[in-house]
Amino acid sequence: MISVRDRARGCLLGLAAGDALGAPAENLTPEEIAARWGVLTEIERGGTDDTEYTIFAATLLLRHGHALTSEDVARAWREEIVARLDGPMRGAGFSELGAVEALRRGLEPPLTGRWHAHGWSDGLAMRAAPYGIFAAGDPDEAARLVEIDGRVSHTGEGILGGRAVAAAVAVAMTGAPPEEVAGAALRAVPEDSWTARDLRAALDVAARTPRAHLARALHGSFARALHDTVVVAHYPWTDLAPEAVALAFAAYAAGGGEVEASVVTAANLGRDADTTAAIAGALAGAGRGERAVPARWARRIGPVAGRCLPVVAGRDVRDVADEIADEIVKGL
Amino acid sequence: MRGAFIGLAAGDAAGWPAARHRSALLAGWSRRLHRELDAFAEEHRVTTLPVPFALNQPVAPLAVGPSDDAEWLAWTALTIEEDRAEAFGRLAGRGDVRARVSVRAALDNLAAGKRPPASGHDNPHHFDDAAAVRAVAFGAAGRDPARDAHVTNAEDGVLGAVATARAVAALTDGAPMGEAVQAALGALPADTAIGHAAREALAAARAAGSPFAAVPALDAAVLDHVYSYGVAAAQTVPIALALADAAASSCGRPAEAFGAGVSAAACLAPVADSAPALTGALLGCAAGHDALPAGWRERVRVLAGCCLPELAGADLLDIAGRLA
Repeated sequence: MISVRDRARGCLLGLAAGDALGAPAENLTPEEIAARWGVLTEIERGGTDDTEYTIFAATLLLRHGHALTSEDVARAWREEIVARLDGPMRGAGFSELGAVEALRRGLEPPLTGRWHAHGWSDGLAMRAAPYGIFAAGDPDEAARLVEIDGRVSHTGEGILGGRAVAAAVAVAMTGAPPEEVAGAALRAVPEDSWTARDLRAALDVAARTPRAHLARALHGSFARALHDTVVVAHYPWTDLAPEAVALAFAAYAAGGGEVEASVVTAANLGRDADTTAAIAGALAGAGRGERAVPARWARRIGPVAGRCLPVVAGRDVRDVADEIADEIVKGL
Repeated sequence: MRGAFIGLAAGDAAGWPAARHRSALLAGWSRRLHRELDAFAEEHRVTTLPVPFALNQPVAPLAVGPSDDAEWLAWTALTIEEDRAEAFGRLAGRGDVRARVSVRAALDNLAAGKRPPASGHDNPHHFDDAAAVRAVAFGAAGRDPARDAHVTNAEDGVLGAVATARAVAALTDGAPMGEAVQAALGALPADTAIGHAAREALAAARAAGSPFAAVPALDAAVLDHVYSYGVAAAQTVPIALALADAAASSCGRPAEAFGAGVSAAACLAPVADSAPALTGALLGCAAGHDALPAGWRERVRVLAGCCLPELAGADLLDIAGRLA
């Protein structure tokens, strides 16, 4: 029996490990990754914005719980992100930068998430996992909470990417198999959405891929088929939520929900590799618990540096996971 | 109608990106040399920036002239009677077409079997102004641009097209600029990025008093300088409405208003690809073709074929006349 605390730790350690493993592969093609590493399986450097924004989201959740409002989130961004900036932001994506610009202009959510052009980014999906941990077993509530957070920085498909990940983590926290977890993601978004279309197509590719070929969690034709299916050909930026979420779920499904296989598969697909591997790691880690995260990876995960968000410097994902688990136990 | 088309083409030609689009007609190696000179300037801290140039090639493409927006407007007028997904579908898979990200992605979507509105929605640049440019043709013809817009765009990208068509339609019917701008605003809900920006831009430009005076205020009010592409409908359509409004109310003669508005739009470097074109369409439609400066009218009639090669040499004035 895996405890809630164990699953919470597995989720956030899996996320942090995926973030760190995928970071050097970001914006590379599967072919470039294969040429450089063969298979990228070892963490080379620290995590990035995925882990730090996840900790920030968890902090808001711990403060407000089910009563969280978009106004709470906007106030926290103003006081704890914008007010602490003494120069340009570091390590942030377009959606975070755009949201900060909107907040500086005095706009309020949901306009802060609509005002900039990048509302569809995967920046909400990357920080959605804590909502799924907190609402373990209740995917609707996980999706509702992450949408409240997301209105500050995202809109449209960007919100849907967050809903899919949060709902799926909530179901993974029950130990459900990958098919059920992916089903929860699909149920959290409208059928007639880009996210749903990409998710269905990517999961089809994963289902057609024999596990035997994934001995090392990666297969060249799998990566190519996924790219041909969901990657936008004539656009250079890689952080489209529908695409990133689809790649992450395909890797998780192809990895059979196993932490190392899911994370390695996602990282080696390239594109927004730190985010896709972080999402795959969060799903698999929630399902399998802390001990399923390879020890050699877990040893590399310590307190975050606060390079992207100084306000979270020094926080360890294990402590954050424990605090969310304590809240769940208190609520029972 | 001819004023809207030639006005758009003049604005298209006035923005600095026109020369870059038109340089597509030169040999690929000349653009490679341009990129290498850019890198040289960066490396050597040389502030003399390279411009498109023609080495051992015809220089005509680099003279002032119409580029991408004028060609896509002409294509729209020539295909306006056809089912929009079918018309775009014929472009899918062609290797010689140049277009905005939204249109490229939509053509890929159509080729993969996605129909509108998914072709415009499942699209990284669903918010850009490609459909707003095409909507000048729909507005001038008194038609609804929505079906066309949904092929390549969604949300703000579609709203921008509807707003542009409404303004052009009102001007074509003889309404004053203030009424046309109000008609456009009516299509832009205040809680959308484009609706919010349109109201901010109009207020900023009115407070500044004239189009040129409004340039810094519009830069501050509408542009965020964060994103890498300057064709978001939520920026270019509001700027065009605001500058057309300021020009019409601060300039005496329509020809003066046209020059003042288009020139000011061309000063906003990040959006100079399409904001001058959209501004030119509105003010050109208000002024009428014959009131536009003769030098510009002559220079922008003949299309270059830099995006749609089959349009090389086509007469935009003739195409506009046939739509009428």
